[in-house]
Amino acid sequence: MNEITPVKTKHLLSQQNMIILIVLGAFVAYPFFVSNYFIDIAFFFGTYALLGLSLNIVLGEVGLFDLGHAGFYAIGAYTTAILNTKFGIPILVLLPVSALAAALFAYLVCSPIIHLQGDYLLIVTLGLGEIVRLALINNPFDLTGGPNGVFGIDFPTLPGGFVIDSSIEFYFLIWIIVGASILGLTRLQNSRIGRAWNYIREDEIAASANGVNVKNYKLLAFVLGAALAGVAGNVYASKLMCVSPESFTFWESCLMFCIVLIGGMGSIPGVIIGAAFISLFPEIFRPFAMYRMLVFGSAMILMMMFRPGGVWPRKRGAVEFRSLIGTSRSKDA
Amino acid sequence: MKILRYVMILGVFMFAFSFGTAFSATDSIVIGLQGPITGSWAYEGQMAKQSCEIAAELINKNGGILGGKKIELRVVDDAGEPKTGALAAQKLVGQKDVVASVSTYGSSVCEPASNIYEKFKKVNIGYGVTAVRLTQRDFKYFFRTCGRDDSQGRFFAEAVKNRFNAKRIAIMHDNTAFGKGLAEDTKRALKSSVDAGSIEIVYYDAITPGEKDFRVLLTNLREAKPDVWYFTGYYAEAALLVTQARDIGITCPFVGGNAAINDEFVKIAGVDLAKGCYMTNEPLPADLPYPEAKEFLAAYKAKFGDIPSSPWPIYAADALNIIAYAINKTGSTDSTKLAESLRNDIDGVPGITGPIGFTAQGDREGVPFYLYVVDEKGKIVVSK
Amino acid sequence: MEIFLEQLINGLTIGSFYALIALGYTMVYGVLKLINFAHGDFFTLGSYLGYTVLVFGSALITAHFGLWGALLLAMMIAAVSLALVGIIVERLAYRPVYPAGRLPAVVSALGASIFLQNAIMVIWGPRFQAYPSKLIPNAHLTIGDIHISLLQIIILLMSFILMGSLYYIVQKTTFGAAIRATALDRDTASLMGININKVILFVFTLGPALGAMTGIMVGMYYRQISFTMGWNYGLKAFTASVLGGIGNIPGAMIGGLILGVLEMLGAAYISAAWKDVFVFIILILVLIFRPTGLLGEKLAEKV
Repeated sequence: MNEITPVKTKHLLSQQNMIILIVLGAFVAYPFFVSNYFIDIAFFFGTYALLGLSLNIVLGEVGLFDLGHAGFYAIGAYTTAILNTKFGIPILVLLPVSALAAALFAYLVCSPIIHLQGDYLLIVTLGLGEIVRLALINNPFDLTGGPNGVFGIDFPTLPGGFVIDSSIEFYFLIWIIVGASILGLTRLQNSRIGRAWNYIREDEIAASANGVNVKNYKLLAFVLGAALAGVAGNVYASKLMCVSPESFTFWESCLMFCIVLIGGMGSIPGVIIGAAFISLFPEIFRPFAMYRMLVFGSAMILMMMFRPGGVWPRKRGAVEFRSLIGTSRSKDA
Repeated sequence: MKILRYVMILGVFMFAFSFGTAFSATDSIVIGLQGPITGSWAYEGQMAKQSCEIAAELINKNGGILGGKKIELRVVDDAGEPKTGALAAQKLVGQKDVVASVSTYGSSVCEPASNIYEKFKKVNIGYGVTAVRLTQRDFKYFFRTCGRDDSQGRFFAEAVKNRFNAKRIAIMHDNTAFGKGLAEDTKRALKSSVDAGSIEIVYYDAITPGEKDFRVLLTNLREAKPDVWYFTGYYAEAALLVTQARDIGITCPFVGGNAAINDEFVKIAGVDLAKGCYMTNEPLPADLPYPEAKEFLAAYKAKFGDIPSSPWPIYAADALNIIAYAINKTGSTDSTKLAESLRNDIDGVPGITGPIGFTAQGDREGVPFYLYVVDEKGKIVVSK
Repeated sequence: MEIFLEQLINGLTIGSFYALIALGYTMVYGVLKLINFAHGDFFTLGSYLGYTVLVFGSALITAHFGLWGALLLAMMIAAVSLALVGIIVERLAYRPVYPAGRLPAVVSALGASIFLQNAIMVIWGPRFQAYPSKLIPNAHLTIGDIHISLLQIIILLMSFILMGSLYYIVQKTTFGAAIRATALDRDTASLMGININKVILFVFTLGPALGAMTGIMVGMYYRQISFTMGWNYGLKAFTASVLGGIGNIPGAMIGGLILGVLEMLGAAYISAAWKDVFVFIILILVLIFRPTGLLGEKLAEKV
């Protein structure tokens, strides 16, 4: 396949920008043409996109095997749930709080294990995710509601009194957050931090030998990834109005893992497509009932056979959304 | 290559667009059914679907409702999961021709689903949802044809005194929304006796569902020397518990909650171990004395070969029937009118599971419980 | 004390299940550096095949071979079938993905796992299936105050025989040396004249076969099987193999046994509900202080 060299132009009306505009237009117009059911599906697509982006930081950029990411998601969701139902704190205020809680948790538990290599880190993160879920089920201190979970969560209210309570409003909420995350993460990719991360992923020892503080950067990745997952948890909790441990299983972590890998490690547009695949595929194939999971499993295998780099692999050094947001031009890493 | 990727994204959306509009209504009244057709409770969900099909067929055969209109069943799978439950409810709510829904099985799935129905003001009747809190939310559009955990808990408390004469009680649950809820309600029901000193709860712990080995737990239970043992979880674990318990020498009677004992339980544990096990349950389909029940079960058996083995599908059928009744009675398909009618006017309407009426909060009035036992041949019969 | 011994035996029984399944994970990982997520489903498939053989052939088999013969026959059929399945899965799902690296292989393995699990559901149905209780020995021994079942003893015996045989093959035979060499360094091993394909064949037949036999034992012990049970067992077994040092065969055996015992002890003395948390915490602590697992070797990192 011919690689198209990145378009190094600041032309506002370039082909690339037009396509981006069309996609954005489609996203904005979509909810006005379909029923609530399809808006909700797109909402969950957005949630998975956000989760995929959050795991992408850890797995895609730094190459750390994290199979327990659902744990951070759960912490964000439950923080929102508990603080809102017990203390009445508004949801939007809890958004940064949940992010912080998840980030803090990540910092505390990942610090002792950050030095573990590859598959050992995998099993430990897996274990951590399970510990979080089991702890939630067991209802310590009567906080988490056990298997019932926590219910009666409010809707987010914007300053000025506007309540976000319909499908279409939630849709825009999540996709605005996703959009903001994409912008932030793209900048991060091109920053010193992003390059350090990629360096660690490619060759940890060389990075360390060149003065990159591997431990701190890895920890930073986990903390940021957890924070973003916490944000996803907050919005999810508010949309469903209740949270229960069933939504945060090891299987969810696996799905997130697949999103990043199918989309393309470190590739932001790839992650979005990966999220689309993971969330929409089972819905579209619902009519096939039992057989749809067979197709799903086979599709995953086939994907890895034919496009192991992901549907939209990250091209080193290329910046996709360059012109519209005017980021710095990065040299090929 | 790049274009191809953008096209892919747009393609996904266009695909989604094409699913956008709901199917147009024919001259029939559409009633929705939401349940776990796939997933870990597929067994119950599929039976519920079959039940509602029979119920609809019977109504249509007898002339339909609202002047001859036929009932059309629209089934949406919620896979037994809260998130999918919300989506399923959203789907049914979004289809304008669906008048009301029979929804669903599983309290934790019903919670988000019923939130959505309430928000969009659509009547929804649960058939396999026994968590007490579901009717404590002041909802106008939610009802249930099945009973609640606290009545079952009270029944067990009674049985403990009258039937087993037990002083030392062991309660075991499975940490699920249903199982734990029932266990807590049972504990609450026993509280007065415990306070009076006539009964002691010597064991109260949970298994982890999906696990298979409970010997450790059971050893602890054995050491607590209970007179009777109540397990409020599901039949899969119940079968394992009983086989392992007898293996390690627990001899006290085993009483299951209403999800613990059915034909599968007998099959897995084997008749030798299953016999003599008790269960608190709403009347099983075979034991329903009402003429409506006989008619319904005969039709079900004719089409599907055997009657349903658990009570929940029957509650689903009753839910569908009562919706049809309310539509006929009010002469309309307006949700608010239906909800009011169900709440206030409908009382003692003959149904498959007995007279149907709802309390002000939407609970089913007067659900009886029986004590069942597995007999020598492995059949589940009412205990004398 | 008696209770402790009873729990210990329970723990060892469960531990031997984990150990046998963990062997499948660790062998494949050692040779291919691949986490075979589908292994749990091999175990489940073996269990279901055993169920089918026993249920549909029970009259015929017991007439000819008797109770034990029936079980052994079921085991052999399941083992051979799973060996075949293992090779097929390797050829179809893994071999094409090797050149892409390790992470795509993980996704492929997850895909294979979903496929197998749902295939089992489609073929045998979503309900639990029960092993025919007539074919399962029910006898008990009571030594002093300890209750042991005959079944437990049989299982422990069979497991130790299987593990012992594998240990012998891997540690004492030439082919075993070839396997260990491949696990250590694949390229050098092939340069030394070791037929890598043969080694891969071996791990992908023996691993699933062991898993299948374990599946039948689990089916007999618990009498009921479901198409999702591979997930839970696979997770625990994978944990066990990491605990022992992934890629290390004696490590997997020890890891499995220790995990089983720990789980039982946690359930008995801490709380049944928190036992898994307890096990994972132990795992994490072990890995913090011995990052390559209990028996894992510290390999120098090549720069």
